[in-house]
Amino acid sequence: MKQHYNTGISGVMSSSLPVLPISLEEKYLKLLDSQQVTMERELSSGPTAPLHTPYVKNTGVVESFLSSVSEFSSDVHCTSVPQYERQPVSASYISQPSSSSLSLSSTYSSYSGTCQPSMSNYPKESAEIAWCPDSLQGVLDYSDNVNTMNDQFQSSCVMTSDNLIKQNEWPDLTDLMNGDWDDFLDNRDATEPQPKTSDLHVVYPAAHASTDLSAHHSQIYQSVRSHSGEQRAVSSLSSSANAAPAKQRMRWTPELHECFVEAVNQLGGSEKATPKGVLKLMNVDGLTIYHVKSHLQKYRTARYRPESSEGTSEKNIAPLEEMPSLDLKTGIEITKALRLQMEVQKRLHEQLEIQRKLQLQIEEQGKYLQMMFEKQCEAGIDKLKAPSNEEDPSSQYSDLTHNVTKDGISEKDQAETENCPSGAIMLEECSRQVGDKQKILEPDADIRSNMIRSHSSPHKRARSHDADVSSATSAFY
Amino acid sequence: MKFGKRLKQQIEETLPEWRDKFLSYKDLKQLVRLISTTNPSPNAEAEFIDLLNAEIDKFNTFFVEQEEDFIIHQKELRERIKTVIETFGPGGSQPSEAEYAAEMGRIRKDIVNFHGEMVLLENYSNINYTGLAKILKKYDKRTGGLLRLPFIEKVLKQPFFTTDLISQLVKECENTMDAVFPVVAQEQAERGEREALMAAEQSIFRNTVAALVTMKELRKGSSTYGHFSLPPLSLPDADLLQSFQLPSPIPIQ
Repeated sequence: MKQHYNTGISGVMSSSLPVLPISLEEKYLKLLDSQQVTMERELSSGPTAPLHTPYVKNTGVVESFLSSVSEFSSDVHCTSVPQYERQPVSASYISQPSSSSLSLSSTYSSYSGTCQPSMSNYPKESAEIAWCPDSLQGVLDYSDNVNTMNDQFQSSCVMTSDNLIKQNEWPDLTDLMNGDWDDFLDNRDATEPQPKTSDLHVVYPAAHASTDLSAHHSQIYQSVRSHSGEQRAVSSLSSSANAAPAKQRMRWTPELHECFVEAVNQLGGSEKATPKGVLKLMNVDGLTIYHVKSHLQKYRTARYRPESSEGTSEKNIAPLEEMPSLDLKTGIEITKALRLQMEVQKRLHEQLEIQRKLQLQIEEQGKYLQMMFEKQCEAGIDKLKAPSNEEDPSSQYSDLTHNVTKDGISEKDQAETENCPSGAIMLEECSRQVGDKQKILEPDADIRSNMIRSHSSPHKRARSHDADVSSATSAFY
Repeated sequence: MKFGKRLKQQIEETLPEWRDKFLSYKDLKQLVRLISTTNPSPNAEAEFIDLLNAEIDKFNTFFVEQEEDFIIHQKELRERIKTVIETFGPGGSQPSEAEYAAEMGRIRKDIVNFHGEMVLLENYSNINYTGLAKILKKYDKRTGGLLRLPFIEKVLKQPFFTTDLISQLVKECENTMDAVFPVVAQEQAERGEREALMAAEQSIFRNTVAALVTMKELRKGSSTYGHFSLPPLSLPDADLLQSFQLPSPIPIQ
């Protein structure tokens, strides 16, 4: 029973399982299985539409896993993430992989052929949880378990390449880095619905995030950044041309780690393995020796001092540790205490997940509303220009600006809201719907009709919502 | 001010190595105040953004590194479990109930603490995000800027906020716990005070409790509670949680 079961990336698989008590073995196997399947499920059931995959039940996966595994030759090792990274950054690079995704062959080494270029530009999060449905279709056409494995393999490969690609020091990109973000991002827009921002920036310093702000800002930022010297150079790719060997932050995944462990084991263990050897054996594009080196260091520490691999203050655990484990009563108490601790931790975890989802939702809605707001704004300006509407809008203006001033927003903001006063009102009103998780006040159709109505007619609505506006404006987060 | 105080408390309670990795909320707030009162130069916003980005970098670096550690640790735990089963387990090479129990006891503790750390990292991520969002809101409010919306979108994509992997590791941890240490009926006895005390001595546990309480407090409602705010948090065991809070150097209330 090897740990590779749960990730799908394995080295040489032994076909004979060690003799273990059936119950524990089965349980553990099932556990690892279900984690594998769960991971696959989780990976594929992201925000995009759920994908049809022929997921097999737990035991089924194990058995077929074993059988298909035995087909693989023993020269399986982590092969490189594919050559697409060598391609120049162009539309083709990010275009939907038509043929490459379908070239799933049945050996692990094909992992190189299955990586899909289009995925690489996704931020890591979306690569993990929301694969591009189009590119996945090719993958999912296969119905046998080999491809279930490869699926996962692919996802891990994609994840890996996804991370690594960002680290890759393409000489031809450095120019792009400095100058042509817009062009580059424009290309991506053709294939992805995602906003033209920072997908590539995931592992870059947040510095890059500012390129989407007004040109003014981004220019300042870039110039500031290039002058800021050392601290940025370490983690920013654009200056990596000079600091190429410097540490670039990269994001490890369990799959990549498996690959790493596999390589280390092949080289005789964590003590014998050298960073260079491991790097070569892993053969993952974009992975530098510095990454491997630091990871190897962590790995060694973890193995030889398992209790303190994260440098946690394990000293605090000492009181429990000192208690003799032979004392049964104390043992039970320890167990109870641990269970308690676990429960509270689980609780916190749950709440954090919920909170995070809410936060994402709120921002998602905010974005949508902003968009609608802007659209209506344009329509509104036209309408407001018409003479018949002049008086009404001005009364709206005064209401709104009055409210807005109350909140201490400056002139600049007033000028902006003046153009779309009703839009702003509607925005705030809509935000009420967003924030209120439990009940939706008005369906979308109403929003639209409200917006249109308030553009052309004077504002009872505005006045009656005075209080709401001022409170909502200030409670924007 | 409430968030600032809460954040400070969390930082005090947190694991020592984490203390300087949190958001410099107070400093940023002061900067916002400065920007809004003095004549705002065109550079002010850029500087502010710079600072925010620096903070985000800090989060990212720390988070990604912790994540890496967790990945390694998780694998090691699994290996350990396997080894113990294979060696000291009933069908193993050197079956020994005593050794098995001892090792499993240690592993159990490790798993629970490992789980706790990961959850605390999630909490770290969340509280920093919250802080950033609040600062951006303050900035927009005070300077009339429109920085918040686009900026927060970028934040949402940052490594430190994309906690899916950690979440997955946490779940796997829970599953491993359930599989290797299944719940036995007799263990579900009433929670004694002693156990609570023992648990509460662990800094991770205290941290976790503090985090939950903080979260609850933060969402209770404020002067600016409104439509973009998160709904109040209701925890079924709220009173139980309160009982876990040992007197600490800095009073929670």
